[in-house]
Amino acid sequence: MTDSLTLPPPALAPRVPGPAGLPRLLPATGTVPVDLRAHLARHGSLRYAGAPGRLAAEAAAAGLTGRGGAAFPVARKLAAAAEARPAPLVAGNGAEGEPASSKDRSLLWISPHLVLDGLQLAAEAAGSGTAVLYVQRNQRLNSQLAQAIAERAAAGIDAVRVDLVPAPDRFLAGEESALVSRLTGKPARPAYRPVRGLPRLAPGQAALVQNVETLAHLALIARYGAAWFRLAGTQAEPGSMLVTLHLADGRTSVTEVPLGIGLADLLGLDTVATGPGGDIVPSAGGPVRAVLVGGYHGAWLPAAEAARLPLANAALRPLGAAVGAGVVAALPADRCGLAETARVARYLALESAGQCGPCFNGLPRIAAALDHLAGPRPDQRARADLERWAGLVTGRGACHHPDGSVRFIRSALRVFAVEAGLHERGRCTGTDPRPFLPLPAGRPASDADWS
Amino acid sequence: MTGITHTTALWYASRATGVVTMLLLTAVLLLGILVNRQGRLPGLPAFAVTGLHRNVSLLAVAFLAIHVITAIVDPYVTIGLAAAVLPFISGYKPFWLGLGAISLDLIAALIVTSLARARMSRRAWRGIHWLAYAAWPLAVVHSIGSSSDGRGGLVLGVLVGCVLAVAAALAWRLSRAAREIPRAGRAAAALSHMSARKADLS
Repeated sequence: MTDSLTLPPPALAPRVPGPAGLPRLLPATGTVPVDLRAHLARHGSLRYAGAPGRLAAEAAAAGLTGRGGAAFPVARKLAAAAEARPAPLVAGNGAEGEPASSKDRSLLWISPHLVLDGLQLAAEAAGSGTAVLYVQRNQRLNSQLAQAIAERAAAGIDAVRVDLVPAPDRFLAGEESALVSRLTGKPARPAYRPVRGLPRLAPGQAALVQNVETLAHLALIARYGAAWFRLAGTQAEPGSMLVTLHLADGRTSVTEVPLGIGLADLLGLDTVATGPGGDIVPSAGGPVRAVLVGGYHGAWLPAAEAARLPLANAALRPLGAAVGAGVVAALPADRCGLAETARVARYLALESAGQCGPCFNGLPRIAAALDHLAGPRPDQRARADLERWAGLVTGRGACHHPDGSVRFIRSALRVFAVEAGLHERGRCTGTDPRPFLPLPAGRPASDADWS
Repeated sequence: MTGITHTTALWYASRATGVVTMLLLTAVLLLGILVNRQGRLPGLPAFAVTGLHRNVSLLAVAFLAIHVITAIVDPYVTIGLAAAVLPFISGYKPFWLGLGAISLDLIAALIVTSLARARMSRRAWRGIHWLAYAAWPLAVVHSIGSSSDGRGGLVLGVLVGCVLAVAAALAWRLSRAAREIPRAGRAAAALSHMSARKADLS
């Protein structure tokens, strides 16, 4: 990692040899929650860094980046938090508003103590006395987490108290400034915020927000060291990450993979044979037309192109895609990509926080045009209109919701251009009308839905 | 002295661009009120009204710049560079030009804060944007006071038209304030609006 920060030397080399191979964050099999006793038996007790700044140095050496989607260097945030006065509030972000992602939920359910360890470490690094865990309003998950926190309190292993804060079930609820807004008692809507530095709860009071998976990685790095973390992943993007896979046969799973793994390996795509259409690639779950990488703010890739790419930002960013929060979906060959995109675009439009005109007026207009394009014999101007309107909303919101939504929609116009041409002539290659990409039912009806 | 000669060209240019600037500023204010109340213009998506508001305001700034520069450069009356931005120090009609200078400063503040909007809090930007309601009337009074054009004839007619248009827009804004759609429902309202219109077409 190239980093201009001056940091103290990393803590001494790992005291314990780390477990070999993957998975690291989840048990090898099963979805049974790991209780405190099993957690301590597997990983030993939590090692605090001992001095402020040490964890930041170790995270820098490990090259750990945020796993919430933005891949921001964790060391930079930790170093900024260590310098902030008064000490920032530390928040673990498990809101996971993305409907196609379930990795944070799975991690919190199965390995809550890794996340809680990481939260304690982040609080120590920030010199903070309070920490919160921001999670979906899910009764079972919440009571299980409350139990895990109580278990730790009874064992006396936590330095700071942890409070659970429920997140509203909104796509944008996990956006950093929305989380901060929620912590100050306001609705969880994104806010305009300074471009640099940590987000602020109030003037002079900063917050350190890390995704829950990032915290779990920190807990392991503190125990086994940066060199162990780098055993997985690539030189530029080290470590492992949790991904939510949607295979072409409809199976969904959460699995831990090294960064840089081939998308072909991930989805079981056949890299040699191509299907009858030339653009259809056979896979373990059946023929695949296109691959969605990075979720609903991510991008579509043609299946044949995706089969040659690794899951790494270095390779995906030049193509307008990104690893994001690790959602990878293989669109079956019998579904219409435009219809799928139109459904999601409508959902994204309805998830606008209703604050910025270009977003709450522009996205519905774009979604309606895409719906038109997904239907039979669309107007020939629809595609040009979509491109023009997409340009008008990009970069015009308080948060990146319009930008991310437009990135996703534009990639569909690119990847499904042939399909759009067919629609104009009254044809469609999608033979299965059932929806494929997951979307929640319901939509914001009142401002109370954001609290 | 009649007609445009090399000695009067700048004076005419300044007066003409002054009138055009006034018209453009009025358009900016009307579009701003429209944006604020989520109003529509026929044939234009609602979010494009925001873009129009921004682009017309930048056009107004270009005309305003020519208006000010030609007035300074014109040798017929002496208006210093400082008098263009500092109020009430001009040798020529200090009061009326002073109002124009204040208006210019306020508009500069609006433009700068809007260009730097991503780097400041929404509340601060909004607070400064309210100054538009001070800048515009100052510009109107400046137009009437600083030249004989604005005291009668066509230019006065234009000014009266501008004032009436803004008054009507303000009345509309106030009447719409009571019917504001809550934030959470805005996108849904826009989408249902569109589906309803699509149903009309088919």
